[in-house]
Amino acid sequence: MATRGLRKSYGSRLALDGLDLSVPSGVVYGFLGPNGAGKTTTMRLLTGLLHPDAGSIELLGQPFRRGDRRRLFEVGALVESPSFYPYLSGRQNLRALAAAGASVSAGRIDELLELVGLRERAKDKVSGYSLGMKQRLGIAGALLSDPKLLLLDEPANGLDPAGIVAMRETLRRLAAAGKTVFVSSHLLAEVQVLADVIGIIAAGRLVREGSLEALLTDQGVVRVRVGREQADATRAALDGIAPEIAVAGGGVEVWLTVHVEPSRAAEVNRRLAEAGIYASGLEAGTDLEPLFLELTGGGASAEGTMQGIAR
Amino acid sequence: MRIFVSGLRKLVGRPASFVSVGLLVGLLGLIIIASATVAQRSESPNAGARALALVTFPGAYDLILSFMLGFGGLVAVIYGAAIAGSEWGWGTLKNAVARGESRTRYVLGTFAAIVVMVAAGLALTFVLGVGIALVGASLAGVSTAGLTDADTLARLPALAARGWFSVVEQAALGFAIATLARSQLAGIGAGIAFYFGEGFASIFLPDIIKYMPFSVARAAVDTGATGGGIGGGGLTQALAPDTALLLVAAWLVGSLVVAVGFTERAEITG
Repeated sequence: MATRGLRKSYGSRLALDGLDLSVPSGVVYGFLGPNGAGKTTTMRLLTGLLHPDAGSIELLGQPFRRGDRRRLFEVGALVESPSFYPYLSGRQNLRALAAAGASVSAGRIDELLELVGLRERAKDKVSGYSLGMKQRLGIAGALLSDPKLLLLDEPANGLDPAGIVAMRETLRRLAAAGKTVFVSSHLLAEVQVLADVIGIIAAGRLVREGSLEALLTDQGVVRVRVGREQADATRAALDGIAPEIAVAGGGVEVWLTVHVEPSRAAEVNRRLAEAGIYASGLEAGTDLEPLFLELTGGGASAEGTMQGIAR
Repeated sequence: MRIFVSGLRKLVGRPASFVSVGLLVGLLGLIIIASATVAQRSESPNAGARALALVTFPGAYDLILSFMLGFGGLVAVIYGAAIAGSEWGWGTLKNAVARGESRTRYVLGTFAAIVVMVAAGLALTFVLGVGIALVGASLAGVSTAGLTDADTLARLPALAARGWFSVVEQAALGFAIATLARSQLAGIGAGIAFYFGEGFASIFLPDIIKYMPFSVARAAVDTGATGGGIGGGGLTQALAPDTALLLVAAWLVGSLVVAVGFTERAEITG
């Protein structure tokens, strides 16, 4: 799937400003962006709900223009919140959905109800479903025609932790089977554990695209939790190990974030021990968040986010 | 065909379908039973005779049809608007379009299901109405010998078909209005406003209003037997029934063209 110079305005507001996406086949592509960056507009354009002002779209290697609706027969989509007839059951809703677009094989509906864990509630009216159940039904709807390309807009919305894990496993399995999964989200942690390739959008433009591995190079962090009164001493002990050490947290303890390779966690620990500082917490890993905030201009909210992490 | 069959399944289970028929049957039943009771208790022979008309066959057939096609028109506007508006409001049109379904086919398939539901609803209302009238006749002690009047029974099918077509046209109008409004509530509200607005405007502009959709729908069934239905706009100088029927067809097609054209061009953001 690809887009070239995709532009879309709502009146005077420019939602997409020349979006260029390149989504390889058989991967989970995480489409990240802050609220209002243009993720949902992109989804709507990719599913023919909106028509671009300029630019082009390619779906499954073929141009997708107005009138090429049959191209969507091989695409499954969950755009925005899942939409159903509230007075029909989950099964009846899937049956109604299956009547539109590509044909659906016999038994597919039961198979999908089983997959998303709604078999037991299939006869219940959707009006009685929780948000998470509607979301799962929406994912089942997107998978109805066994699509080659799956477009999911914030699929983790409303799902409980078990539901998120199950969804993640399902999407990974689909990608492993050669299908392309395009997931838009503003949940960095979710995309970080799910996606192979990431595209970050801000103000209607793609600001970074690449494999997760490549994007996370130089995004390593080691976090240290110490008592508030030890913050300055800790900073001094770690002086020179990283260009910048951020301190966050407003309670008895604070978190110091050191931007170094995760493999250097032992070195950080040794320095602290040599200075007579014993951290109550130390964690290491890679973090997409600083890059995301930098690219999307969300730096102003970075401190708040870090404080949130510290809490 | 899949969209049509699916549309029918959806409408059969939809509360709006039951409520619409229930409203028609309930009101009709109430009027018939009230008439029968009034007739039974009336001390004035004239008033009693008028009240008895609704339960005296074969005339009762025409009066039942008249009520159905008059009040049924208003119900049809609301029903059509509710179906079309909910597709936008609930986001179910979005689902179909995102699956690659043709917008035109989806709109027409959905409306075709409404057409069948209107026929079924009118038939059910008529059968139940006749049943209630028989009960009313029994209450009022009126003979039901006219029930099998051959002349009346012979012209009923043609009249019912005209009536169904007129009601379908009014459903199409509600359908188109709600499509333009992209909302159930706005569509229903605007549909009701147009219905009564047209009746009101006919007082001042009868020569123009007689060509308007609700007036032509009434005129198309005004073959002398039903009196054009019970509803607003009685002051309109009605067109000849056959001319009106042509205009009903024109309004029906026009409404569908508007609904399809708008849906085809619409940017679906909901």
